[in-house]
Parts: sequence; structure tokens; C-alpha cells
Amino acid sequence: MSRLEERYRRVLRLLPVGYRRQWEDDMVAAFLETLQTGDAETDEYLADHGRPSLAEVASVMSLAVRLRIGGADAPPRPYAWGQAVRLAVLTGVLLQAVMATAGLAITLWLYGALSWLPAPTSEWVLVPPASSWQATLNLAGYAWLPAFLALVLGHRRVAQAVAAVAVVPQAVAVAVEQATGPAPLTVTPWALLLIELALLVAMSAVHSDAAPVARRPWLLALPIGILAVPVPLFLAQATMPALRLLDWPGMCCVLVAVAMAVNLVASRSPLRTLPWSLALVLLAAAALALRIATLPDIGAQVQRTALLTTAAGQIVAVLAVGVPLAVVAFRALRHLPPVPSAEEPHRTDS
Amino acid sequence: MTEPTFFVLTALVDGPRHGYGIVADAAELSQGRVRLKIGSLYGALDRLVGSGLIELDREEAWQGRLRRYYRLTERGRHALDAEARRLAANARLASTRLRRQSPIEGTSG
Repeated sequence: MSRLEERYRRVLRLLPVGYRRQWEDDMVAAFLETLQTGDAETDEYLADHGRPSLAEVASVMSLAVRLRIGGADAPPRPYAWGQAVRLAVLTGVLLQAVMATAGLAITLWLYGALSWLPAPTSEWVLVPPASSWQATLNLAGYAWLPAFLALVLGHRRVAQAVAAVAVVPQAVAVAVEQATGPAPLTVTPWALLLIELALLVAMSAVHSDAAPVARRPWLLALPIGILAVPVPLFLAQATMPALRLLDWPGMCCVLVAVAMAVNLVASRSPLRTLPWSLALVLLAAAALALRIATLPDIGAQVQRTALLTTAAGQIVAVLAVGVPLAVVAFRALRHLPPVPSAEEPHRTDS
Repeated sequence: MTEPTFFVLTALVDGPRHGYGIVADAAELSQGRVRLKIGSLYGALDRLVGSGLIELDREEAWQGRLRRYYRLTERGRHALDAEARRLAANARLASTRLRRQSPIEGTSG
């Protein structure tokens, strides 16, 4: 086996075992042939020093994603994972959209545009953006709202492009702020950015092979989400200073822990709720990672002890509900057939 | 029908071909525009075999490796024919309307 073949086979390991059993040798043969130049010396050099091009690696990667995060025609196990990733992505984008809407409402309120609401107390001070470009960057975050709508309505690529409008300027703003601002370097904005970026990439799982997103429940989830999360949170934080101990990563932990508890209690058949259980396990892992990664920032704050205690409580809560749910979900997953029986492409002599 | 699928089926109209043969033929047919990557080629082949549009024709040993040749099935031929008609009808629609609006320079002779 040449070094080139070894390298290519290493890339192919991204593909599921069942698929490889059927196609790997064929793929290797075809790949090696695409690199043959007809000149013995060049071929020998390539066999030793050649590498699969980025485009070839990318094509294998996208095939691996399609096979593992399966659509409607995929075998049960990849399909369950596919559904789980899609539900987790939709929930994540929904949360971004909900918070963007809430942020927009708060800004309007502070500017006095919502005159039917009681005027903000002096505690709520509007920090004006330092410059007009910063204001524009703040505005870009609201792009999550149209991104969510586009994703639910089946325009996945549009949704990704719009979400990029939210993520990219934010990344620039964070980098500039952290490099030039007076505040010390913090982990939180980078961790949030990383999650948003992951969400943007993971939106690819809502591909054309998957069943279309159920529009009505997801569209309804937007107003319900706004009423259920930011509105009470906003009111509670305005009236009860103690609740300000709940930061964004903490809120993610609380939300996912509550959702997992509901799932555990309400689920009669683990197999039927499997996609949601897996999706919540994925979301819990993300929330937990975000919580733990942002702990150093808490250590630098005045209310350090109270904040750290709250954070520890959040971690314990997520683990206490998340671990049993993960056990139930993975057990149900094991009951599903993993891959189709590896059959050779059959010959029909006609 | 995606473009890789379309070119894989078109490449097989003339007769059975193996993986690299399909890549080379698709590039030639499209005058170099379509360069199928192995990942997308085998993504398409896997689906086409699964849906019965192509099937394994034969295996041949070549330079110590096994080459698998695939051929178009009757169903595949029909599917490609339907797709080609659809694309041609779409193209005709656009050209007719364009010509009616304003003759494009250089085509009126």
C-alpha cells in the first residue's frame, strides 16, 4: 500500500463501517486513478508524497455527514441521530431568535418607543453604543430572527447566510473590543461565539434529504418562547436583584435541565421520544461546556462566592437529569439496527 | 436530480463504466466544467444502486485492483430521459421568452 493510499484510507475512516465495507476499495481505486498522470516517475513521486486534495477530503466529509446525520431514507440509527441533531439545531436557533427579539424589545423600551409600558427605572441605564459601527454590529445580532424563520420555512441556505450576518460582525466586534477595550480578556464572548458558529455549521443537518420541518409548532414556539423565557426573566430581574445571579450560560443550564426533566417524566416509550431525548442530551452537553468554560470569568467578579455556588448548582442539576436521560436514550438507540446489512451492490442478470 | 447524479447517469448511457471512467467521462462531457469528487461520486452511486437506477455490471482485475463496472438499468434510462426532457423544456421556455423580449446580440445573424 502506497503512502498516498494510506492517507486516503485514513480520510475514508470518517465514513460509517457498513458503508466502507461496501464501497471503500472501489473508492480507493477510483481515487488513485484520478491521480495517475501517465508518467511513471511523477506517479511514483505522487504515490509517496501526494495527499488527497482539500476538495476530495471535503467531499468525503460531506458524504460522512449525510450518512451519519441521516435523512428520511437513512437506516434507523443514523436517522435517529439526524433527527436529534436537527431538533437540537432548531432549538438552538429558536433560542437565539427568542433572545434577539427580547433584546430588540428591551432596546425599544429603554429608548421610550414602547410608551404603553411603565418607564424604565433609573437602574436601567442605556449604554449608548460607542460608535455608529458598533450600533450596526449590535443590530446584526437580530439576524437570528429571520434566520430561524428561513430555516423553519425550508430555506436552509438562506438561513445560514442570514445567520452568518449575525455571527461574523459579532466575531469582529468581540475581537476588536477584547483587543482595544479597557475590560480584561474574558472567555464568555468567545465561548458564545463558538456556540453560534457551531450552530451555523450544524444547520447543514437540516438538509434536503430530511423531512421538512414541521412549520406550525416551530413557528408557534417563537411567540411562546418569548413569553415563556425572556419576558418573565426580564420582569423578575428588574424586580428581584437576587435573580441577577443567573447569567446566560446559567440560564441555558436551567432551561435544558427543566426540558430534560419534563422529557424524563412525560416519556412513556423511550423509543418514541428518542430523537428529543438525544437532542436534549446534545443541548445539555453544549450548555454544560458553556457553563464550565465561562467559570474563570465568574472568578473575577465581585459576587464571586454567590455566583460560583449558583454555577455549581446548575452543573449538578444538568448532570442529575442529563445522565439518566442519556442512559435511557443510548439504551433505546442500541435497540435500533445500526446500519443496513452490508450487501454487495447486486447484479441482476437480465 | 442533482448535477452529479445527472452526469453519472449520462456517463453510463453509452455503456458500463467503472468509478474513474465515470469521473473522466463526466469531465469530458461537460468540457471540464464538472469535476466529480470521489466522495460525491460514491454518494451518488450508492443512492443510484439503492434506488435501482444503476446496477453492477461486472468486476475486472486491473493493475492488482478490482474495478467494478456499473450499468444503467431500464429504470435509470427512463429517469434520465425524463430529467433531460424537463431540463430541455425549461431551457426552451427561457430562450423563447428571451427572444421575444429583445433579440440577443449576435444571435440574429
